[in-house]
Amino acid sequence: MSIAAGRIGRRRFTIGALLAAGTAGLPIMVKAQQGKTVALLFDSLVSPFWVSGIEIMREEGQKRGWETLEAISDFDDNRQFEQVRAMIEREVDGILIIQTDANAVIPAIRAANEAGIPMVHFNRPPAESDAYSVAIQADNRKIMQDTVQFMVDEAKALGGSYKACILIGDLGDVNAIQRRDGFFDVVDQNRDMIEVVSRVSTEWNADKAFAGLTNALQANPDINFLVTSSDFLHPQIEQALKIAGKWHPRGEDGHVLFGGFDGDAGAYQRLIDGYLDACGVQNLFLEVDMAFGAFEDLWAGEKPEKLLLDPGFVITQANLEDVRDEMWGYIVWQKEQ
Amino acid sequence: MSSGAEILRVEGLSKSFFGVEVLHQVSFALHQGETIGLVGENGSGKSTMMNILGGIHKADAGSITLAGEAYVPGGPRDAQAAGLAFIHQELNLFENLSIEENVFVSGFPRRWGRLPLIDRGRISERTRQLLDMVDVRYPPNTLVGRLSQGERQLVEIAKALSVDARIILFDEPTTSLTRRETAKLFEIMERLRVQGIAVIYVSHILGDVLRVCDGVQVLRDGHLVGGGTRDEMTIESLISMMVGRQIENLFPERDTKPSVAPALTVEGVTQPGVVKDVSFILHESEVLGLAGLMGAGRSELARILFGLDPFEAGSISVHGEVLETVTPETCMARGMAFLTEDRRGEGLLMEASIIDNAGLPSLQSYANERTGWIDRTKLAADVADVSRRLQVNTTDYGSMLVKNLSGGNQQKVVIGKWLLRHPKVFLLDEPTRGIDVGAKYEIYKIVNDLVAEGAAILFISSEMEELIGMCDRILVMNRGEITGIHHRHEFDNEKILETAMRTSLDDFERSH
Amino acid sequence: MLRAREASGKPASASAAGARHLVERLILSEYLVFYLTLIYFVAVLPIVPEIASPRSIYNMLTDMLPLLVVAIGQTFVLIVAGIDLSVTSIIAMASVVGASVMTSDGGYLGDTWLAVPVGVLTFLVVGGLVGWFNGWSCTRLGMPPIIVTLVGLMFLSGLAIWYTTGHSETSSIAGLPRSFVAIGQGSAYGIPHSLWVALAVGITAHLLLSRTVFGRWLYAIGINRKAAEVSGVPVKTAILWAFVISGVCAAIASILYTGRLETGTPVLGERILLDIIAAVVIGGTSLAGGKGKIVWTVGGVLFLVVIDTSLKLLGMSLFVVLGAKGAVILFAAIIDSTRQRILMRH
Repeated sequence: MSIAAGRIGRRRFTIGALLAAGTAGLPIMVKAQQGKTVALLFDSLVSPFWVSGIEIMREEGQKRGWETLEAISDFDDNRQFEQVRAMIEREVDGILIIQTDANAVIPAIRAANEAGIPMVHFNRPPAESDAYSVAIQADNRKIMQDTVQFMVDEAKALGGSYKACILIGDLGDVNAIQRRDGFFDVVDQNRDMIEVVSRVSTEWNADKAFAGLTNALQANPDINFLVTSSDFLHPQIEQALKIAGKWHPRGEDGHVLFGGFDGDAGAYQRLIDGYLDACGVQNLFLEVDMAFGAFEDLWAGEKPEKLLLDPGFVITQANLEDVRDEMWGYIVWQKEQ
Repeated sequence: MSSGAEILRVEGLSKSFFGVEVLHQVSFALHQGETIGLVGENGSGKSTMMNILGGIHKADAGSITLAGEAYVPGGPRDAQAAGLAFIHQELNLFENLSIEENVFVSGFPRRWGRLPLIDRGRISERTRQLLDMVDVRYPPNTLVGRLSQGERQLVEIAKALSVDARIILFDEPTTSLTRRETAKLFEIMERLRVQGIAVIYVSHILGDVLRVCDGVQVLRDGHLVGGGTRDEMTIESLISMMVGRQIENLFPERDTKPSVAPALTVEGVTQPGVVKDVSFILHESEVLGLAGLMGAGRSELARILFGLDPFEAGSISVHGEVLETVTPETCMARGMAFLTEDRRGEGLLMEASIIDNAGLPSLQSYANERTGWIDRTKLAADVADVSRRLQVNTTDYGSMLVKNLSGGNQQKVVIGKWLLRHPKVFLLDEPTRGIDVGAKYEIYKIVNDLVAEGAAILFISSEMEELIGMCDRILVMNRGEITGIHHRHEFDNEKILETAMRTSLDDFERSH
Repeated sequence: MLRAREASGKPASASAAGARHLVERLILSEYLVFYLTLIYFVAVLPIVPEIASPRSIYNMLTDMLPLLVVAIGQTFVLIVAGIDLSVTSIIAMASVVGASVMTSDGGYLGDTWLAVPVGVLTFLVVGGLVGWFNGWSCTRLGMPPIIVTLVGLMFLSGLAIWYTTGHSETSSIAGLPRSFVAIGQGSAYGIPHSLWVALAVGITAHLLLSRTVFGRWLYAIGINRKAAEVSGVPVKTAILWAFVISGVCAAIASILYTGRLETGTPVLGERILLDIIAAVVIGGTSLAGGKGKIVWTVGGVLFLVVIDTSLKLLGMSLFVVLGAKGAVILFAAIIDSTRQRILMRH
């Protein structure tokens, strides 16, 4: 998942994530033999996706013998700009950035271009501009399409008609829009069977998601097809469904077909418990690999495309055992056991 | 009067603030059941003396012996623990708490030993006993905010009794009391004496001092200049000891006569609950006194005349011209100046220099009209001029903070800040409050100089001698109204004025 | 100002007494924060030598300028014993409203020659109006500044986001004219344009406070509002103007921030409120009012920016950064209270 501009109400998650990251240990500066130094500029660590992301990057960097420097802007565009300049000053070899705002990051790309330092955007592409940088992004629309398609196939097998609800992310975030579009691409093909009765606008805010879903379930108690644009909202969804008496695993009466996106540890747990039917997974390992690979290409003088797509995959009840090793949430889940 | 064993002995006590000695080698003794009066002009060291006994200040030198043991309080709590209760002029009661809570605020009895639960029942019972001792007939859970000043004073005494005080210090206990309340207080003090409690009684009202005290000690400029039993003392002898000279010399001569031209004309000024239909004319070259009790509305009137507080009806004219809007700005523009009674709270910027203070009302006249740029050289020169003229006792006008000046010098700075504007009408509210005798004399001289230059002065004071010594006429105010006017030729006969005061006092009591 | 006197007590030796004397003098200096900055700078130099490079110093300078401008405005309000918590929301609001006027992406005056002059004016008007409203509420309605500006902070933060959704497809407004962007990020002969802006604001503010009637009024109000009233100072008008100045300074800072990011964004400055107030207070300006200087504020901002830069260069994780920053600010606070204690003793 991905998060756009900072909004009030996420701080609780920040704290939780910080604690999680804190206990995971802090390999802050790993002295490297090969002498490459890469700056990791995050805007926050508000969800498991980012916490796992930064850990995988640290490990991957260590494997390649790179030194990694970190900075977190706490959703402050200006501070992130200053952090980029500081990293340029430190003469790092590459800057990996997760910007809050697609427009406000442009001057930072220009500054990096000027200094001749490669810049890679992780998970969120910048706005169109004349400045050059490489962005790694999940193919959100495609992954969401595949996820929803699996659910539709399930629904067809089970028979009956379906009332659907989707939890939409912050519309300032391209990722959120693409996931929404992927959902409707499939659902609109199956109008005879599925009717979308509710679109909950979460603005990537868990409290809003909970309130919105609760209202939707009251207005449409017969909702039986639910898709979220991010797995970090699972606890709120579980709570709302429980209140509505609709939290049942597969096979039981009243099971709500449930699709997720991201592929975090909670999603894996709900998959094996049978509550979650399918989950679109951003291939975090692949994305990190692509990002670091882009640095190597850039250092080698190549000029990769401005946007590189992670095709991702869908983990379902059908292929659970086969593909879970690729699912970052499964790795986290394993560590937690 | 017979006294018991010696309970308190003060020996060679000295204390300085900012290098100024306010107490010098003071020694006296106090016995069980004895009441001694401590008198002296403001700034003579009485308050410091009381504050040292009460544990608020520490003495620089000297010793205090309490019931045979050395007494060195580290703070007010120590004083209380040693059986010494200090009843301040401004009462230290919490108006939003009940009588019983106030009495026990510094140590509530607990339920079941040390548990943090207040034993309400015990408090109420004990408070009721204490209130009986001081003749207050209210339930112990009455809010203090609903009591009169006199009743609060008695609650303070009850509080002192609750900690088994052996000595009670009274600081100006009667200033805000009615006569009946005062009489009540004296009655209670008599009971305390019978119980063997010793009292130190500080007051400006010398008649009262001679009435309730067994002995009197007189302080002047930090020195104990005399003392004795009450039979050896008269009001006159006390005054001459306090001021160190004959009363005739207390006020400088003024040979100017008031003009007939009106400077400030006040007609029918009324503000409900504050002042009612106040009218008078203050002439050029005149000092018009304004006498009255605390709460009679004198300061409130002055604030209204200077536009600081609103009024509903009436008019104010300066030199014959009616002020259309009355704000400090318009009053100042017409040549008025207001010297507040609350020097610390309203008169001065304590954390600023003399120049910053003196320049404040007249900054605009030292500034470029368009840019507001201040001509600092000229301002500094003028402040230095006026400070020299007023004999301010420093030459560091630019960096010394006024909080480090003595009271008298601070008051000169307040006067100085107005003089820079060359005003013609002065409203002086308690201009000599809290300053020493010498400085008072200087301020009287300044007033006379101003009058000689044609200024008109409204002189508010609580000290009758001062009004008599300084004023051409004296207005008497009572409950917001002007109730009498006295001319200088009548002053000689003090009794006239005294009767006037008493009449108004009785009125005051009847109305309550 | 105040000089340290020889410490009382028995010095163990002459050199010990001399050292103690020096430390006391340092602590009592009104420019203490500059010494602290210098000491810190020298201390981190061996760890991050990059901090002393010309480019890094240039970066620090341009990083501190917008912060300095908004802190200068805050100094005015703190001097009259007020506080302006709404400054960051003024930065955000002015940023999106100003950007919506100028953007070539469908702005009101996009692609016309009026865009930049009217756009800049829009920033200032937004800041001035919010400041005026703050001051008006505090003086005419008698509301406490902390409440007025806290409400302003919340309301404007929301309003700025709402405004953006009505003027942009995304969460921010881009496409700002090059000539506007240059104010925030351009330079000539190695001197950033923002330096001239900050210098103009700083010098004007310094002169206003130290040399004019208005400035003296502000100090008088801060020291003793009642005494100022009795002395005929137009207290309410002066306080109102202090808030207007704070609002306008925040708007100028917003111009610099918006320019350097080439983007009008509704979360601009959202996280720097504590930095602003901490910088002013660390400089020596009192939260209780009556005490404050522009030079001190410059010192406070410099101090924070040097710390920030050193931590950025170290590339440590956020927890370490926040912890280290907190520790340094705490240290400065301890030094300040030590100073108060020494002053009391003298």
